[in-house]
Amino acid sequence: MATTPYDVLIIGSGASGGMTAHTLTKLGIKCLMLDAGPAFDYEKDRSLRAVYDLPYRGFGKPGRFPHITQASEFTAAIWADEKQNPYSYDPKDPYYWVRIRRIGGKTLVWGRASWRLSDLEFKAKDHDGFGDNWPIRYADLAPYYDRCEPLLRVSGRKEGLPQIPDGVFLEDNSPVGPAVARFIAEANKRGIPTTKQRRAQGTLASSMNLLLPDAMATGNLTIVPNAVVREITVDKKTGLVNGVNFVDRRSKRELHAKARVLVVGASTLESTRLLLNSGIANSSGMLGRYLFDQFYVKNTVQAITPETGGGTSYIPRFTNLKSKEKNYLRGYAVDFGGGGTPDPKYFPLYGEPLQKELNEHRGRGFNATTMGSVLPRYENYVRIDKTVVDAWAIPSLHIQARYTDNEFNMAKDAMNTLAELCDASGFQLLEKHDKMVPPGESIHELGTCRMGDNPKTSVLNQWNQAHDVKNLFVVDGSSFVNGGSQNPTLTITALAMRASEYMAEQMRKGDL
Amino acid sequence: MKRRSFTQSLLALPAAPALLGQEIPKIDFSVPDAGAEPVPHFFTAPQLAAVRRLSDLILPSINGTPGALEARAPEFLDFLLGQSPADRKALYRNGLDALNATARRQYAKGFADLDATQADALLAPLHKNWTWDAPTDPLAAFLREAKADVLAATVNSREWISVVSQRSRGASGTSIYWHPIE
Ligand SMILES: Cc1cc2nc3c(=O)[nH]c(=O)nc-3n(C[C@H](O)[C@H](O)[C@H](O)COP(=O)(O)OP(=O)(O)OC[C@H]3O[C@@H](n4cnc5c(N)ncnc54)[C@H](O)[C@@H]3O)c2cc1C
Repeated sequence: MATTPYDVLIIGSGASGGMTAHTLTKLGIKCLMLDAGPAFDYEKDRSLRAVYDLPYRGFGKPGRFPHITQASEFTAAIWADEKQNPYSYDPKDPYYWVRIRRIGGKTLVWGRASWRLSDLEFKAKDHDGFGDNWPIRYADLAPYYDRCEPLLRVSGRKEGLPQIPDGVFLEDNSPVGPAVARFIAEANKRGIPTTKQRRAQGTLASSMNLLLPDAMATGNLTIVPNAVVREITVDKKTGLVNGVNFVDRRSKRELHAKARVLVVGASTLESTRLLLNSGIANSSGMLGRYLFDQFYVKNTVQAITPETGGGTSYIPRFTNLKSKEKNYLRGYAVDFGGGGTPDPKYFPLYGEPLQKELNEHRGRGFNATTMGSVLPRYENYVRIDKTVVDAWAIPSLHIQARYTDNEFNMAKDAMNTLAELCDASGFQLLEKHDKMVPPGESIHELGTCRMGDNPKTSVLNQWNQAHDVKNLFVVDGSSFVNGGSQNPTLTITALAMRASEYMAEQMRKGDL
Repeated sequence: MKRRSFTQSLLALPAAPALLGQEIPKIDFSVPDAGAEPVPHFFTAPQLAAVRRLSDLILPSINGTPGALEARAPEFLDFLLGQSPADRKALYRNGLDALNATARRQYAKGFADLDATQADALLAPLHKNWTWDAPTDPLAAFLREAKADVLAATVNSREWISVVSQRSRGASGTSIYWHPIE
């Protein structure tokens, strides 16, 4: 088969690769998309099953996913197999690297929470003196957020809160039950703001249904599944990248694909791994550095409410907004809601008394999960570990990440604040804690290929373009300079759209 | 099957196009447990006796709803533990052995033969509040896991779901299953 010359080669079909393809193909640019995962039929390759008909009664095959706590026996097939895709860390500092290798990437199952960042994040250093600013400000990204939200069908409520700028939402006026309303009132009384969750609508809000079909319809996109990219190739004469070597996932056949411009959107750590394995874009020595995420304290409080009736809501960051007022920098957000029955583990009972208690408290559960900002630190990094290779003989990563007192203090403050609010709302507290899940488990890994104006301290410029290689762009969460407490995917898509329009313009002008 | 007869049976199949458009009747298949008893492999006889008693205490049959024994939760756990990582195997084995040893020391019989009051004294850790960090005491750590496992193995069983789903539509035990792709 003769190869078609492509303008742009995109690695990855998730949120970042999907938005890049969506934007570029509409501008008439011919794109080739390679993804390591298989294509599948959303209707035929999924079916309704009873839990007792699964081989492990819903427990899943023991030991299959030691780092993917989100995997269930129902979804086992979608997560990247941990034996085929190993990585390493110091046993003292476990890191949970959660990946999906399928067309659509992690957007096939993401929780769809969609928040804008504000200048509290983009200009964080100006605000509190720690770390670095992004090379862009909120106003630079706002027009792209405006266009991404309708594409993802984000619902929410406009509140005028500067730390979570309002957007173009489908209005959410869903009611909350009396217990949650009381909790909201108690929070507001103490100056803690609350709002509706902002969330992409639809059971599936993936690049697979929202972005890739439109891109395909332009006739400008070719998608090749099962293409595991091994390395990016460089034209020795020009120093520019000219394509990739990839291996067919099933046959292990080796192939090479060419393009004028290369876009990497393989997800935060996979993109950095690919660049490190290719030995490019690292004159700064910063590639792999400044790994961070959001820390999660799952079910920080678990309580019983006096009355039934559910509803969910959200507390955006409310600390250190104007000046430093806590024993930590920055702040945390909280997802909370009522309804359902608390897990039996919370009741110190067994047998008939336990079942009686569960029946009494049906529909009266309440819980809140804390999501805190993590300071990006040079000491948290990834590097290639040549002793660990995947099923395609590609060297994998060694990951080093550790939370510090800033995060621990924040988690403690969140626990105490939430417990106080439960108490004031008349809830019976079953449990409170401030124990974070291991780094990575929030699935919001960010940084390691960060942007900046200075090529000595950053890998990419403000257009997600490598300082060292002008026809190389990295459009996923690896480009983040810091991330706040907001879930990152909406920002990833806005950055990918912005970078793509810049790329298209440079190509039109003949600069790329 | 010998190679020759295999080839013959392949030839005996109708040509592919003949199958297209043909209505294939649907057959309802059953599951192994419908016509057979599980054969325990992992637990020793005293451990199995203890895990049966423990399961019955954690979730007995209540008002016609099957309990852990009817759901064959102990036999299922025997299968699950047999395939589990070494630390979980050890947690169960040591935990059950500790229950039996304490029962013998205090009452001169195995845990399975204790009455409810005697057994409850040994299960004291289950009356402590749950904390995020697992208990450091091995017996308490085992009992906490066993409580969760017995409950899940029971409420995910065909026996339990077939009764409870009659009363509540939400308890069908079904969910979307993602098929593996080659
Ligand atoms: C359960 C869950 C809940 C989540 N909830 C939220 C939420 O509520 N809000 C939020 O903002 N975010 C959420 N996320 C995170 C969100 O899904 C990611 O931020 C987002 O998908 C990242 O997009 P991406 O394009 O960088 O990576 P992905 O979507 O992971 O896509 C990367 C793609 O690259 C491919 N790839 C990787 N390596 C290679 C290679 N070497 N060669 C070729 N292809 C490769 C993969 O196969 C994959 O398809 C959640 C994630 C999960 C799993």
